Amino acid sequence: MTRRRSRTALTAGLVAVMLGLTACSDDGAEPDAVAGASDDALVVYNAQHEQLTQEWADAFTEETGIEVVLRNGSDAELGNQLVQEGDQSRADVFLTENSPAISLVENAGLLAPVDQTTLDQVPAQYRPSSGQWTGIAARSTVFVYDPDELTEAELPASIMDLADPAWKGRWGAAPGGADFQAIVSAILELEGADATTAWLDGMKDNATVYQNNIATMKAVNAGEIPGGVIYHYYWYRDQDGTKENSGNTQLHYFRNQDPGAFVSVSGGGVLASSENQDDAQTFLAFLTGSTGQDILGTGYSMEYPVATGAPANPALPPLDTLQAPQVDPSTLNSVEVTDLMTDAGLL
Amino acid sequence: MTVTSVQTPRRAGRGSRPPAALVVVAAALAAVLLVPLGYVVSVVLDVGWDALEPLIFRPRVGELLVNTVALVLLGVPLTVLLGVGGAWLVERTTLPARRFWAVVLVAPLAIPAFVSSYGWASAVPSIHGLSGGLLVSVLAYYPLVYLPAMAAIRGLDPALEESARSLGLGSWAVFGRVVLPQLRLAILGGGLIVALHLLAEYGAFAFIRFDTFTTAIVVQYQSTFAGPAAGALGVVLSVLCLTLLVAEAGARGRARYARVGSGAARAAVPQRLGAFTPLALLGLAALGVAAVAVPLASVVRWLARGDGWAQPELPSALTQTVLLAGGGALAAVLVALPLAWLTARHPGPLARLFEGTSYVAASLPAIIVALALVTVTLRVLPGLYQTAFTVVLAYVMIFLPRALVPLRSGIAQAPVALEEMARSLGNPPLVARLRVTLPLLVPSLAAGAALVGLGAANELTATLLLAPTGTRTLATQFWSQASAIDYPAAAPYAVLLILLSVPAVALMFVQSRRWGAR
Amino acid sequence: MTTLSLTGVAKSFGRVEVLRDVSLTVPAGTRTAVVGASGSGKSTLLRLIAGFERADSGSIGLGGTVLAAPGRFVAAHRRGIGYVAQDGALFPHLTVEQNVRFGLPRRRRDPVRVREVMELASLDPELAGRYPHQLSGGQQQRVALARALAPRPAVVLLDEPFSALDTGLRDQTRQAVIDALEASGVTTVLVTHDHDEALSFGRQIAVISAGRLVQSGAPAAVFDNPVSTEIAAFLGAAIVLPASPTSDGVDCALGRVAVRHDRTGGSEAGARVLLRPAQLGLSPANGTHNAVIEDVRPRGSHAELLLRTAGAAPALIPLRVPAHEGSGYHAGMTVSVTVTGGGVLYPAD
Repeated sequence: MTRRRSRTALTAGLVAVMLGLTACSDDGAEPDAVAGASDDALVVYNAQHEQLTQEWADAFTEETGIEVVLRNGSDAELGNQLVQEGDQSRADVFLTENSPAISLVENAGLLAPVDQTTLDQVPAQYRPSSGQWTGIAARSTVFVYDPDELTEAELPASIMDLADPAWKGRWGAAPGGADFQAIVSAILELEGADATTAWLDGMKDNATVYQNNIATMKAVNAGEIPGGVIYHYYWYRDQDGTKENSGNTQLHYFRNQDPGAFVSVSGGGVLASSENQDDAQTFLAFLTGSTGQDILGTGYSMEYPVATGAPANPALPPLDTLQAPQVDPSTLNSVEVTDLMTDAGLL
Repeated sequence: MTVTSVQTPRRAGRGSRPPAALVVVAAALAAVLLVPLGYVVSVVLDVGWDALEPLIFRPRVGELLVNTVALVLLGVPLTVLLGVGGAWLVERTTLPARRFWAVVLVAPLAIPAFVSSYGWASAVPSIHGLSGGLLVSVLAYYPLVYLPAMAAIRGLDPALEESARSLGLGSWAVFGRVVLPQLRLAILGGGLIVALHLLAEYGAFAFIRFDTFTTAIVVQYQSTFAGPAAGALGVVLSVLCLTLLVAEAGARGRARYARVGSGAARAAVPQRLGAFTPLALLGLAALGVAAVAVPLASVVRWLARGDGWAQPELPSALTQTVLLAGGGALAAVLVALPLAWLTARHPGPLARLFEGTSYVAASLPAIIVALALVTVTLRVLPGLYQTAFTVVLAYVMIFLPRALVPLRSGIAQAPVALEEMARSLGNPPLVARLRVTLPLLVPSLAAGAALVGLGAANELTATLLLAPTGTRTLATQFWSQASAIDYPAAAPYAVLLILLSVPAVALMFVQSRRWGAR
Repeated sequence: MTTLSLTGVAKSFGRVEVLRDVSLTVPAGTRTAVVGASGSGKSTLLRLIAGFERADSGSIGLGGTVLAAPGRFVAAHRRGIGYVAQDGALFPHLTVEQNVRFGLPRRRRDPVRVREVMELASLDPELAGRYPHQLSGGQQQRVALARALAPRPAVVLLDEPFSALDTGLRDQTRQAVIDALEASGVTTVLVTHDHDEALSFGRQIAVISAGRLVQSGAPAAVFDNPVSTEIAAFLGAAIVLPASPTSDGVDCALGRVAVRHDRTGGSEAGARVLLRPAQLGLSPANGTHNAVIEDVRPRGSHAELLLRTAGAAPALIPLRVPAHEGSGYHAGMTVSVTVTGGGVLYPAD
């Protein structure tokens, strides 16, 4: 009897759930039903570090009461995704780590002009002349190395030297990531297509490929490889914390306007298709305003603030001492870079 | 799953013309299942061969091909060796503590491959490349051969081995000439599943810097979204998968996977291991340490290193995982039901066509399914873009066979005669089905749902690409923490993923033992 | 209690014609056995009556109701026809009691009726709580019968219900089933390939061959006068000898035999005579012999003799004798065979 009854109950439950599922699938069509966010929340396509943007979002919500949900991804992924989505996109704001991805979206005509008051907070060299987006942060290219393996004299004078056969098997990088692709776009802009192709071919022969900057730094720290090309803040973050992945390493800045001294601008823009234009503009103003930039200077990020008068974390060398090459962020071309890297067999 | 070959199908053919509504439903489902394959074909047509050719015939694809093919050619035999060897040791020898080892051998299934890889990568950071890829994937996937092999061995009639012995064959000869041929279907089926997993795995290989087609497609996707280069790699990967599927079908011949009806009448006399006992114990212990202890120890170590449990995202990630995986499990069972019904109750060319369709669709890796659904929802059905519905649909496409196989055998065990009997006792057809067939299907439905749920909870690639903005599952959270080398923060997610997997793995284990014994 | 009648029923599966022009009447409250070789279409006939299949043509009626006819089809669950399958087809997820009361309407699920039919089928009430896999084959079949009888059907159909049982169990179960059917007085159709079972089952036997109903009638009458030598052989051991008609019977290898039934239709050109082994008497030759023993095979309780008839066209005849008599015969011995009663005369092939 009991066995029969429990079976009947199980059957009934199953049927109920089946019916329930049909009902649920309607709910499922509503965006963010799973995420549990309300419809008027600001949707940010976030290619910046999730922790940083979450810090920004939490502070913004506290200040304005406007909810923010993040769709996390990489620069190029989200940039291309926005281009494919076009007018259908649910995104209100796009934040990148590097400028090529946001230029891609700008060139597709999908961005709305940034409020002038926001633009006025950022010096001209950290934003495009078009005013379609603005810089929100900056990061510098560095060469992380193991001092037991490389003496200061042996360090590369230019990032271009790393394509020499002498460097075979002696450096690593994460070419799949947007960070490195931005560095390549700077090389392309500064040295031209032929030199870039030759450099990428050399890299294909010489470099060990890692999943991302942290993995590259970790490999150098573990003595697996003498050096690696990364961005500065990964190293400073680890130094500030456990030093677990950087304790045995040092940083080398290329300086001298070398392509390897490239300072990459992280971009933020508002989608023209957004139905939350005001909130989105408020969010950008917040990021480039004092609260947003202070989070860069004092928080976890270790990236450089770009707004006028915003101090960087005191552990970092001042941005104006890095002798970065002059590159207009809006000229960097992500599409040609991925094509060149695909041709070189790095992608 | 696979126990023996049945050459003559059950006499279900009587009046086996399926109801039109069932055919329409099954055809519609099969058509939806073919969307990913259609996407691959459309990439070829859209982009055009001239544009694809340079993207396919380039050194990078050659490298990936060498890596991927080497992985399959080395990995599958290794999993077969471990799976069949392990099953034979625990089922047919005098190995001490056989029950304990039987559980140890299946345990790695509860540890998602990318968690195992994370455990290894953080314990031995220098691990990388083909050898590393083989290590983590073989350790993670050999239970997929072990379980069917165990079921098949339990279903063997010991009389055959005894006859062979009486004809003068030694122990090894009996194993090679009598036992192994009877395990052929289990080995082929398990090997195919392992091979498809190897082709589709992303997370486990990305951790240890081993490039396969799937990891390269993800990198391309991250660089160009769903661009032609990702599509081109996808075409090659799809061709590899379909080749495997066809090769396995060819090797299997006309024999179909089916359960034995009655099975062994009595237990076999176990083979004496004698002097080999310490060696066998040592081997099993080493396997257990490598496949279970190392990953678990890493997780525990990282757990102790930080306050990972304090992360505010944990509860919502758990809830969303359960909701999405549960939705996927239920949807897969609902989709599998008409297809399994058709194949079990109305066998014929039409049923074979639909069944084949679902296997072809599921043989494509999650990354292809995800790319296809991104493209299709964006271009054709923008209302479904980035919705839970699309994620669930992807789970159905990827994991459907996990629901189909138990359901089909379940329906076959609930014979039409019983429904007819219920009708002759005054129950209209629908009532007869509800009162008789449905209760008999409950165990199969539960098994299918559990297996799909297990897969969906651990799914990474499709979830990353398709989930609604703001969605965090245990797998995606684990992935984002672990790939930022924040190992302590990743550890609680690993623990939850393992805990969620345990019931489904236990269910699979019990089912395999019971299928064999019946 | 209702009369079941079939008229001109035909059924094909694809191009295979399974039943052709079958007409049969089962009088109310009686038992009919349908007998035929496997593949003869007898099970399909049962499925048509039950309503599991639709006939291509012809009609099936129950009392005054038309169950199936061109343009009319009563679904299985509305026919009130009980069915007992070959393997019992008990619901494996239900106990004996739950199986038995399965067909009772919800409001009439009184335990009295369940106990009643279980008793009718000589089932121990203690079995009520068991599951089918805990029962023996014979018990399963009796539960299946009890389940079929519980809703008081107008007709019960039995599809080879005893064929899966062991010999001893089979006879015992069969008797229990016949007793239960007798007691309930339900109209019954049994399908079987076993001629003994068919001949001993009820008032009527219907012989089916290659989809056609070739003969029906009282078992004794059909056995006594089969329509063909094939049917004769199917229903029991048959001796068929070439025969030539004379004025007072026919001449065959065993001498002159009277004609009980003449199925030649007056045709003169050659004939065959059917005899049953029981009609033959055997004695050691005393002067007149008409057969030689070819072989003697002991078979436990009896011995099987193979006789070769004397004369121009010798015929081989197998014959059983009790074991103690068998020892009196040996190969090569000449014997005298006598025939009692008449034979049935058929035209030559």
